[in-house]
Amino acid sequence: MNALALVARREISTRIRTKAFIVSLLVTALLVGAAAFAPKLMGGPDSYTLGTVNSQRLPLEAAAPETEFTWKAFPDEGTARKALLDGDVDAVLVGGAKVLTDGEIDQELGVLLQSTNREIKLGASGVRIEPLRVESVGADTRYQAARTGIAVVLVLVLFMLLISQATMVGMGVVEEKGSRIVEILLTSIRPWQLLGGKILGLGALGLVNLVAILAVGVAASAGSGVATDFPPGMPGIVAGVVVWFVLGYAFFATLAAALASLVSRQEEVGNVMSPLTMLIMITYFVAFYATSEPTGTLATVMSMIPPFSSMVMPVRMAAAEVPLWQVGLAFALMAAAVVAVLSLGAKVYERAVLRTGARVRLGDVLRAK
Amino acid sequence: MLEISELRKRFAGGPGAPEGKLALDGIGFAVRPGEMFGFVGANGAGKTTTMRIVMGVLQADSGSVSWQGRPLTYEGRRRFGYMPEERGLYQKMRVAEQIEYFGRLHGLSGARAAQATSELIERLGLGERRGDAVEGLSLGNQQRVQLAVALVHDPEVLILDEPFSGLDPLAVDTLATALQERCRGGVPVIFSSHQLDLVERLCDSVGIVSSGRMVASGTVAGLRAAEGGTLRVVVRDPSPGWADGLPGELTAEDGRQVLLVDAAGDDQEILRRAMKAGHVEHFGVEQPTLTEIFKEAVA
Ligand SMILES: Nc1ncnc2c1ncn2[C@@H]1O[C@H](COP(=O)(O)OP(=O)(O)OP(=O)(O)O)[C@@H](O)[C@H]1O
Ligand SMILES: [Mg+2]
Repeated sequence: MNALALVARREISTRIRTKAFIVSLLVTALLVGAAAFAPKLMGGPDSYTLGTVNSQRLPLEAAAPETEFTWKAFPDEGTARKALLDGDVDAVLVGGAKVLTDGEIDQELGVLLQSTNREIKLGASGVRIEPLRVESVGADTRYQAARTGIAVVLVLVLFMLLISQATMVGMGVVEEKGSRIVEILLTSIRPWQLLGGKILGLGALGLVNLVAILAVGVAASAGSGVATDFPPGMPGIVAGVVVWFVLGYAFFATLAAALASLVSRQEEVGNVMSPLTMLIMITYFVAFYATSEPTGTLATVMSMIPPFSSMVMPVRMAAAEVPLWQVGLAFALMAAAVVAVLSLGAKVYERAVLRTGARVRLGDVLRAK
Repeated sequence: MLEISELRKRFAGGPGAPEGKLALDGIGFAVRPGEMFGFVGANGAGKTTTMRIVMGVLQADSGSVSWQGRPLTYEGRRRFGYMPEERGLYQKMRVAEQIEYFGRLHGLSGARAAQATSELIERLGLGERRGDAVEGLSLGNQQRVQLAVALVHDPEVLILDEPFSGLDPLAVDTLATALQERCRGGVPVIFSSHQLDLVERLCDSVGIVSSGRMVASGTVAGLRAAEGGTLRVVVRDPSPGWADGLPGELTAEDGRQVLLVDAAGDDQEILRRAMKAGHVEHFGVEQPTLTEIFKEAVA
């Protein structure tokens, strides 16, 4: 096994058995699962209990397939009235001609009853009515609510994962620098192997997290029935999220490593990484804004500028249809930015990581040699 | 042979000392295979800086390090074993796991690394600790792990910065034995230390560094010979004035007089006069200790 893989494996194996890793994975999975069930729990009462007195049931299910109807037959109007007042039924159909309610009838139910009744009577007299066909001339907005929901969950998941993995990379770098383990490590492996292995290992953990969250999200949505509202092309959206996470992580983690290599003490990590944390926060805010205005100018422009694109683009892709050329351009620019950051970050890291003691100035490192 | 020649290193100064600090001023020495070399010098003399340059952790301004006649490269250093002055271990990793990891980073296969780890754990008396996290070990045990990390890949050369500091006498013996074994196997060993008695006991040769320069080096016997011994004469109830005109220092203590004089002089004349003056209780040359040689050299 080469040094890169050995370093990555150590990162994975030492972290995966910590309680923190397992707990955070479980908690995020639970939250995402809960989010998938939330629309079901918060939606209106899509079920009605109806009574009949001397009357046929109406075929309401045909008109509203997603609504649940329960029927109860009553022997006479008196018992039906009592059941209504007790709240046991929402409405009672009497003799196929009259509907009893307690107060005003639920609007949806009223329309359903009237139109179904009319259809049945007309059908009986041999008149057939073709239902109106609906055609949208604008964008397909049927899935808008679901799309926005998915985008909001995504933005949160991406933000949390990116910031936590980048921080872990920074802390890991300082752990090795501060304790002088680097002095031994770098007499047996090259700086890029140590840095690359760390970024790969922690990235793999981040990816495990992400895939677990996505899997729980998709499974829970299927289980709760929310998935029926999902737009077509979900597999593409999910794959896109993974790709964008990888790009964003590579960018931010490399910067984190480079910045962290400037200091020697854990207490200084937060301070030296604050510009990076700010950058991730700004990216997050823009991405969050994009969930509500996915086709606005700000979202469109930011979804193509690295590193903002790493979060804004997957969110836009989830929230709306994005032209392919925009996705391609954003990807190319972000990939180029990752390459640039990797070469610069590796240089800074290599030059700073053995300079223990006082905080190394970024300018000094870049100017040297 | 490991040859270090003419190393110079100036550290950049801060606002208070713009000219910086000259840490190494042309230091040079050589260590042969199978030789245990003790590197001694006052605090701040430049021992750690020299070792860090040999290990490539620091760049010299000028000078060179060569191994087996060729300039030392990264590939060469990978086959060295190094124990830095500031110990560095992963605090949360377990003892065996950690030693094995460093072995693998040095290019050992999984099986070889595991085997070397088990052997070292036995040899260094860490058997009961192999599954413990490093952070739970005492300083001495951490130091054993650190040494195991330096030894795990069967290095060609050992560079150890103060490997014995903070150890109890038993731990010192364990570590010393481990080092002597490697040394007998043909590995040059360089270690720095402030425990001069230990250096005197273990080392074939010694280098004394002061202000970034090697002020004395060679075998302990050679250094002693160069320094010269002191002749000590003790005479009981001597006649007064017997030592008048003789070189050296005369002191009196309860009825005896003690003469300390450079052993290079005419000892026979001194003996004759002492015997004439009284009863000679002691007459002999005393070798200087390494501590005395050291004090003399860095003075
Ligand atoms: N990173 C550094 N920056 C500036 N000066 C340094 C640095 N490292 C060492 N020095 C200076 O170089 C000189 C030699 O230090 P070095 O650590 O090599 O001494 P040493 O012989 O190992 O001392 P000790 O016995 O205390 O370990 C000292 O004056 C020290 O202050
Ligand atoms: Mg030192």
